[in-house]
Formats: sequence, structure tokens, C-alpha cells
Amino acid sequence: MNEHDKIRELLALAAADALTSAEEEQVAEHVRSCIACSNELEAWRPIASELRRLPTPQPSSWLVQATLARAEAKFTEQAEHDWNHRLMIIVVAFAWLLTIASWAVFHVVSGRFERLLGPQFSHTWISFAAFTALEWLAGGVAAVMLAIRQRGERRLV
Amino acid sequence: MAVDADVVRLRRGDLNALSELITRYQNRLYRYLLRIVRQPAEAEDLFQQTWLRVVEKIRSFDANRNFDAWLFTLARNLAIDHLRRIRPESLDEPLANSWHSENVADRISSKDHTPLDHALAAERRTEISEAMAGLPMIYREVLTLRFEDEMKIEEIAQVTAVPVSTAKSRLRRSLEQLRDALEARYPGGTWQ
Repeated sequence: MNEHDKIRELLALAAADALTSAEEEQVAEHVRSCIACSNELEAWRPIASELRRLPTPQPSSWLVQATLARAEAKFTEQAEHDWNHRLMIIVVAFAWLLTIASWAVFHVVSGRFERLLGPQFSHTWISFAAFTALEWLAGGVAAVMLAIRQRGERRLV
Repeated sequence: MAVDADVVRLRRGDLNALSELITRYQNRLYRYLLRIVRQPAEAEDLFQQTWLRVVEKIRSFDANRNFDAWLFTLARNLAIDHLRRIRPESLDEPLANSWHSENVADRISSKDHTPLDHALAAERRTEISEAMAGLPMIYREVLTLRFEDEMKIEEIAQVTAVPVSTAKSRLRRSLEQLRDALEARYPGGTWQ
């Protein structure tokens, strides 16, 4: 491909202002001495110019309002979801803390704290496990009840 | 690149920022979607979906990046998924005479002064619009991004997820096809 053909390929892009500054200089220099390319560039200009002036179709105000309403509802729902997620992490961390603390409290209250590492460890462990399971079961039931209630409230909304 | 204050506010959970952004981008985004799918009802649906996606993803958006390109990329992905699902052939095939979304008043620019200028300008734009609507989707897209949204080639490459060189050659081919279409409709350059 010779210089002339190379420049000719750039003319449409020149009209679209999509050349690098080096390419622009090349084109400008070439069209000064090449009438065919100069004419070709002039032929591209009205197309580019009209493309820039095409009318912009406007979305209806109803569409914008509806979009805003839906996006805001989604935003609120997402914020609530994030908050619930953070709350869940805190509750789980608190539950574990309570469980671990209750283990020590359980033994202190029953006067068997010293036997933790003793021969009756297995008996202590079973009591502790039963206590923990009861705690988690109560938490689970509360969570399910809360979820059912929230779902009901959402349906009403 | 300057950080968009509304984007930062939206990331912090400010609903007013969402309203500002929708208002600011409404015309550009709707026009882009309409140029891609060509059907106003579909463009409206995609417009809503795009903003819902923005709300979903805004936390993962880096505010130092170009919001325009990110927004248009989201819109493009949704539009292409939609076209693949509804009319897979429309991604490659031109569709002639389908540009029904504008009325005559839309086509007249205030820069044209006399009634004759108005009429001629409206006519030229109708011709260009119709010829553009007949191009394949990737060419319509690159034309609207360059000439209507005034995006740089680098931004177009980012939105369309192609290298800069591909975006450039796509723009050149789209212009060539548009000109061919105009010359086929109006031999001898009479459309001008």
C-alpha cells in the first residue's frame, strides 16, 4: 500500500476527528498536494457533520420517574440487605462469644470449673453441648419466625 | 481524571445522587440503547434495567475510573443479552426502514434558520438516520458513541471491549457502509 492509499483510508477517520495528532499531520500534509484526497475529505465532512447533529430521542418523563422509583426501591432493599448481613455477622459473633463465655460460667456455677481438664470432662462436655444446642435451636426458631414475619410485611407493601 | 462527586455520593448511599445521575445521563443512555435495539419499548425496558444494575454494582465500581464508560458497558451488555435472547439475527443483520422513533419536530435543529433550511436539514437527518438504522448493530453503536456521545476512540474501545485499533477500524468501516448506503439510496450525492 503506497502513501496515497494509506492516507485515503484515514480520511473517514479524519472527518470523524478520530486520528492521532501524528496521523492528522500526515493527512493535512498529503491533502495539500493531492486534489483527489482533498475532495474525498470534503465528501466525508457533511456525513460527519450531520451525524453530530442527529436529533436526540428523549425518554418520556414517565420513564425517568418510573426508573427513579424502581432504582430507589432497589437501593433501599439493597441497603436493608447489607444491614441485615452485617447484623447477622454481629449476632453470630455474639452467639459464639456467649457460647464460649457460658461454658466457663456453667462450670463456675456448678462448682466444677477445676474439673475441666479432669476425668469427668466428658460428662461436662455433654452438658455443655446440650446447652449450646438448645441455645442455637432457640436462635434458629427466632430467625425463622422473624423471616416469616418480614415476608408477610413485604407482601402487604 | 476528575472523580465524579455524584458517583462518590451514590457509593455512600445518597439517593439524591442517584436522581442526579439518572437526570444527567437520561438522554444519552436512552439514545444509545435506542440506537442499538431500535425499538422504543425495548430501549425503555433496558434503560430501567441498566439503572437497576448500576444500583446493584455501584459498590464495586472504582470511583477513579470513567463512569461514562462503565455505565455504557453495563447498558451494552444488557442490550446484547436482550438481542441474543429476542432477535439473535439482529446483532449482525441490518434492518432497513425501521427508524420510527422520531417525529418531524425532533429532526429540526434550532441552528437551521429559514423554513427552507429547516426542511432541508430535517430531510438530510432523516436520510442519515434511516441509513444508519440499516447498518449492523456494531456499526450503529460505534457511530452513536463517536458522533452523538462524542466519546474518544479509547472510550469506545473500553465500552465495546475491543482493542483501540479494532474500535478505529470499526468506526472507519461504519462510515464507509453509511456512505455506501446513502449513495445507494441517493445516487450522485443528491442526499447532500
